[in-house]
Amino acid sequence: MALIQGIQIIGILFALFMIYYTFINFKRKQLKKSESALWFVMWFIFLLVAIFPTYLKKLAETLSVYRTMDFLTILGFFFIILLTFHNYVQVKKNGRKLEEIVRKIAFRSIKKNKK
Amino acid sequence: MKNDVFVIIPAHNEKRHISKIIRRAKRQSSNIIVVDDGSDDNTSELAEKAEAVVLRHIVNMGKGAALKTGCDYSIKKGARRLVVLDADGQHKPEDIPRFLEALEKADIVFGSRVRRGKMPFVFKFGNSFINKVNDILFGIRLKDTQSGFRAFTADAYKKIRWDSQSYSVEAEMIANVGRKNLKYSEIFIKTIYSDRYKGTTVLDGVKIVLNMVWWRLTRWH
Repeated sequence: MALIQGIQIIGILFALFMIYYTFINFKRKQLKKSESALWFVMWFIFLLVAIFPTYLKKLAETLSVYRTMDFLTILGFFFIILLTFHNYVQVKKNGRKLEEIVRKIAFRSIKKNKK
Repeated sequence: MKNDVFVIIPAHNEKRHISKIIRRAKRQSSNIIVVDDGSDDNTSELAEKAEAVVLRHIVNMGKGAALKTGCDYSIKKGARRLVVLDADGQHKPEDIPRFLEALEKADIVFGSRVRRGKMPFVFKFGNSFINKVNDILFGIRLKDTQSGFRAFTADAYKKIRWDSQSYSVEAEMIANVGRKNLKYSEIFIKTIYSDRYKGTTVLDGVKIVLNMVWWRLTRWH
């Protein structure tokens, strides 16, 4: 029981920190309003789950996962895989865009030199 | 002088060799395209002095991207046949006529380096391993899959146009040749291995093999 409480405290602190971090990014205009709202909702849900883990228990049992912590860990893994894939796609997209820009500039520099 | 032949030379910090390579290549074709891939030295200035057309990448994008810039530009300028070679002085532009001769009967010609014992063991082993993987995955048998001295027709280029920005470009070209069922041939070339390895590492070799497996899984019909 004591271990769960300890993890709960870490979870709560983590959620609060992420809410603060999201807020900073929003203030610096690095995240749009809609993006910030989505992240705030996510961290808020995370905070609720950390405070009241028993609410998840029923859902976890329905999915044949008998410990709430295991269920959270599995959810966490799924989320990380999703983010990794999303980042992979974004990095590829940005790499291609950068290549195209560099190429266009190279072609333009030729035209300028000819003038 | 063949006007439809464009020689593309990707270069990154090649001030030592670039002028000489251009001068020698100019004897084979009037269209010499140097792609300066974000060099820190005066490669561009030297290439311009040697009267090559110089395309400058403002940042280093990798050999694959540089080659693509050069090939795209050449196609825009009406190239019918493209020859690509390295700027580090290991390839002899005097071999270009042999490539063009072989290109009469093929869509793409690969130059395979004749080994003369100076190649470090790790690269010898790596090359042999990549050659074998290439044969198994794509059914294309070449003595040297990593040589950068190649010639292809404009039509073939449109079919094999690669995505790789890095040193995987050579392997991807071969994968695309296999995928598009293009006619290929191989000629043997003599090379100097002086500073050939400054750009490639064992990790690059591992990446190339992993990429080959990925292309096999995702692109093969």
